Amino acid sequence: MVPPRPALSFDHLGFVIAVLIGIALFAAPFATYRATRIASGEARLVIEALPFSMAAALALVALGVALGAVLARDPLGRLGSAVIGLAVLLPSLGLSAGYLTPADNNFARVSPSLGFWLLSLSFSLLAVDALARMRLGPFGRLAALAVGASALALLLLSGIWDDLSILKEYDTRADSFWREARQHLLLAFGSLAAACLFGIPLGVASHRLRTLRTAVMQSLSIVQTVPSIALFGLLMAPLGAVAASVPLAAALGIRGIGAAPAFFALFLYALLPIVANTVAGLNQVPAAVVDAARGMGMSARQRLLGVEMPLALPVILAGIRIVLVQNLGLATVAALIGGGGFGAFVFQGIGQTAIDLVLLGALPTVALSFGASVVLDALVDLSKGTTPA
Amino acid sequence: MIEIDRLTKRYGATLVVEDVSFNVEEGTLTVVVGTSGAGKSTLLRMINRLVEPSAGRVLIDGEDTRTIPEDELRHRIGYVIQGYGLFPHRNVADNIATVPRLLRWDRKRIAQRVEELLDLFQLDPAEFAHKFPHELSGGQQQRVGVARALAARPALLLMDEPFGALDAVIRSKAQDDLIAIQRRLGATIVLVTHDMNEAFHLGDRIAVMDQARLLQYATPAELLMRPADDFVERLVGTVERPFRLLSLTPVREALEAGHAEGEPIAASESLHDALSRLLWTGRKALPVADSSGAIIGRVSVDKILQHGRPLP
Repeated sequence: MVPPRPALSFDHLGFVIAVLIGIALFAAPFATYRATRIASGEARLVIEALPFSMAAALALVALGVALGAVLARDPLGRLGSAVIGLAVLLPSLGLSAGYLTPADNNFARVSPSLGFWLLSLSFSLLAVDALARMRLGPFGRLAALAVGASALALLLLSGIWDDLSILKEYDTRADSFWREARQHLLLAFGSLAAACLFGIPLGVASHRLRTLRTAVMQSLSIVQTVPSIALFGLLMAPLGAVAASVPLAAALGIRGIGAAPAFFALFLYALLPIVANTVAGLNQVPAAVVDAARGMGMSARQRLLGVEMPLALPVILAGIRIVLVQNLGLATVAALIGGGGFGAFVFQGIGQTAIDLVLLGALPTVALSFGASVVLDALVDLSKGTTPA
Repeated sequence: MIEIDRLTKRYGATLVVEDVSFNVEEGTLTVVVGTSGAGKSTLLRMINRLVEPSAGRVLIDGEDTRTIPEDELRHRIGYVIQGYGLFPHRNVADNIATVPRLLRWDRKRIAQRVEELLDLFQLDPAEFAHKFPHELSGGQQQRVGVARALAARPALLLMDEPFGALDAVIRSKAQDDLIAIQRRLGATIVLVTHDMNEAFHLGDRIAVMDQARLLQYATPAELLMRPADDFVERLVGTVERPFRLLSLTPVREALEAGHAEGEPIAASESLHDALSRLLWTGRKALPVADSSGAIIGRVSVDKILQHGRPLP
């Protein structure tokens, strides 16, 4: 007989989360204050970073979440306490910025510090773990993502964070931020689309022809092992030569540096997962199904489009998911050769030792990768649809 | 009529099918039987040209299959394989509609045909039409596989080990269903199996293959009484022989005048079943009834035993 599960019990992940919350509240600085954007920072504990009543409220809520994380079993309750934690934590960061910045001072900067990051990590971990325990279907996960994204957008639009250093960096660069955002997405999604257009047919051909498969897989594996910066460098010379000798190419913006080599490198990196997953997806289509399709007089095209591709789709989508997450990250490096994207802020920030500027490039990249992987995971599940797992 | 004329398949130096000829009459069920690797599947796949013959030809109602485009030929020949190869991403109705759709039948005609076939195979359309293959039992999948093969009223049905994936109880039911459907539709069927019992149970005629060659093509009774060589004799099973012979003979053949006590047996049942009943009840004879139930005579143990040996 299974003993009835108590409503309260000791949870191991919850214990780790509680320890993190304890460190964040009492041992780590909540925010960093700097007199100017490149001055060295001064750490502020929670109690120093917020008015006393706010600090006390935040500490109480965080301790409550820690207690819930260790003892509560019901995933809905765990999710609820994580959401309450985040709902108190995120605005309080904005309040802290206003509280720490002296009046009429445009040079001082307040940025989140270890304590804030640990708290948001703990709460998010608890929320994600609770969502995983709830075993949401694909639509449920998409809905959760939409709620999270809307909450984030609301925080940004409400102006509560406007005193934060990273938003001050954004403020002075709003135009270039959206330009680089568009460039980043163009690089990541454009090279993905090109890789699909080229890679899926190549995968189909490789599945049919064993000799082609070996050659394609090996060359793409070699490409995959070349470090990204080296690949950008390797592409400069040939693309430069193309631009010099073909006027049309130059008119289309193909040059040795800039977006063209970045796009091409991302495309090359994207090919291996796409081709490999197309081949793997087609390989796992049961032989009896293909034999039956042939035996009933389906033409090669009817078999491919009507039977083989639909059955290979979940595996191909899994490949696309890998590529998209990989591309969103790698596109950052494109800035090194003048390709633009969020990487432009990262490398400028590193050059100026302005950490806030680095974050302005890095945080949207992380958010995009996270969102893309949730959306594509849901799509993979949906494409499996009626076929057994 | 299907004429298989000197069919040969060679892979490099290996002969897989060597110079096989036989005719299949319309509306009959022919079983190709043999050990694994005998070439029977290759022979079957040469009929719908999934395998191109190295030599020889197949005529369907006098028309050489090589003159018909491959896909068109296969639209006219039903094909059922072991494991059925149902499309996992399509529901039962869509699976059955595969060939009619390829032939561009109109929607209404396809829907009618699907319903008709589901009824024929005792699958309630309301319940099964929208189920997916993984939601079906093995026996139901098998029936959907055969229904799909019959959807466009093919001139010929090819079946490669169609009962191989079923357990013993469901298999014998599926075999009986196939015989009933074949009788009802008057379908011409060529079926490949390695199971001799299945061959005797189903076949109007049996083709015995070994090592790429056709050893004997005959009715089940001929195969038992006049095996072409030692191999066929062994395959037929020396010990089982008398019982197989009795299974093939209807009670009607051993009918004699006279009276007997007990539950009557139908004249259409086999002598094997009659003997089994006699042994179990300890009687010497049973009354025999015709299809209307009227007693037309009796069948006795002595008379049955005479049928269990070859004619002198």
